[in-house]
Amino acid sequence: MAETVPTERSARLAALLARVALADQQAFAELYRQTSPHLYGVALRILRESAAAEELLQEAYVSVWHHAGTYVAAKSQPLTWLTSIVRNRCLDQLRRREVDTVTMTSDADDEPAFDPPADGPSPTELLLAGAEAQSVRDCVDTLDAGPKQAIALAFFQGLSHAELADHMHEPLGTVKSWVRRGLERLKRCLDGAGYAR
Amino acid sequence: MNLARPDRRERLEQLAAQYALGSLPARVRARLAKVARRDPPVAQAIAEWEQRLASLAAAVPGVAPPPRVWTRIVARLGLAPPAPIASWWDRVSIWRSLTAAGFAAALALGVALYSQRPVAEPPLVAVLAGPDGKPALIASAARRDAFLLVKSVGAAPVDPGKALELWMLPQGQPPRSLGVLPAGAVVRLPLAAPSDAVLAGIPALAVSLEPAGGSPTGLPTGPVLYSGAIERMY
Repeated sequence: MAETVPTERSARLAALLARVALADQQAFAELYRQTSPHLYGVALRILRESAAAEELLQEAYVSVWHHAGTYVAAKSQPLTWLTSIVRNRCLDQLRRREVDTVTMTSDADDEPAFDPPADGPSPTELLLAGAEAQSVRDCVDTLDAGPKQAIALAFFQGLSHAELADHMHEPLGTVKSWVRRGLERLKRCLDGAGYAR
Repeated sequence: MNLARPDRRERLEQLAAQYALGSLPARVRARLAKVARRDPPVAQAIAEWEQRLASLAAAVPGVAPPPRVWTRIVARLGLAPPAPIASWWDRVSIWRSLTAAGFAAALALGVALYSQRPVAEPPLVAVLAGPDGKPALIASAARRDAFLLVKSVGAAPVDPGKALELWMLPQGQPPRSLGVLPAGAVVRLPLAAPSDAVLAGIPALAVSLEPAGGSPTGLPTGPVLYSGAIERMY
């Protein structure tokens, strides 16, 4: 059901990446046009500062221009590959910020304020999307409240284990075990439903 | 420790999952990234998890980056390609259709994420319609949000090389731009300040057809396609 659209789109993006690897500037512009809103959205959500997200996006596309040739279509979907580049850079930067903060102030209370972005899909879309992919939603729904929230916060906001514990007012050990068990359960469920690739 | 060893498979699996999720502490994260660079099985485990979780990331609402980002990329690389902004409204709902499956999963997670938010503040809403009176776009913002959410409910596709630009229509003054609408079914247009301040005293919004990248003059140069009054729920 959800398979046909991504495949066609993935093929298009993979073709663009292949042309970018050959230094095709037009393909690069087209790739940017098709993927930058998504990647910027991902970066904004994790970094929560537009200046930082812009800077990161810029670095990411510069890197894509240089390394498009390392993309292997057989190994991952093109948008997954691009999103991972952006997400990993965002997460590295977040973690670096924390290290800097600790080094500079040695003040555990000086955590950056956690401020969830205020936009979100509408209930109508929730309903529509849910109807389209019941089994995936079921996978997430099998998670208990704690693990579900911990995974959501880590994935969408880039919170580390320690930050999760802080934010959720739970012991670090509890949160780590929620994350670990939640991911295990998600894997079994998603792989079982055939969404792994 | 050699994570690629078969008996370490379970630990590798956990670390790879948490790396892809993003929850690992700085030092563990850095160390694992280093190991992955020389250990293909470790890199593979991470890639598999990234693929698994990718369906979730696909649901994050798209936000068009400001045009300066592209300008800087091009300058950094010394390229001279054409502007990347072309028709976009024909790609409405692309991020959702991309992986409807992931969207649903992310929404389910999103509910967990947002359920902890305080009660939403009352919003302002504008329904922008064409000359035929049919709604094309809905713009909304909570009072203190420094962005507008714009949802397409029937906007016509835009030709390549053109873009839709959103304008405030202050009474007795020339229109003021709120920016070019990015691609997506539901898009987020950043504002310079909270919406109640930026839109204070503004009775209506309008959308004009402009060259890609927006009006070169700072005032609408193309036809006004849609317009509508701002309703404040406060």
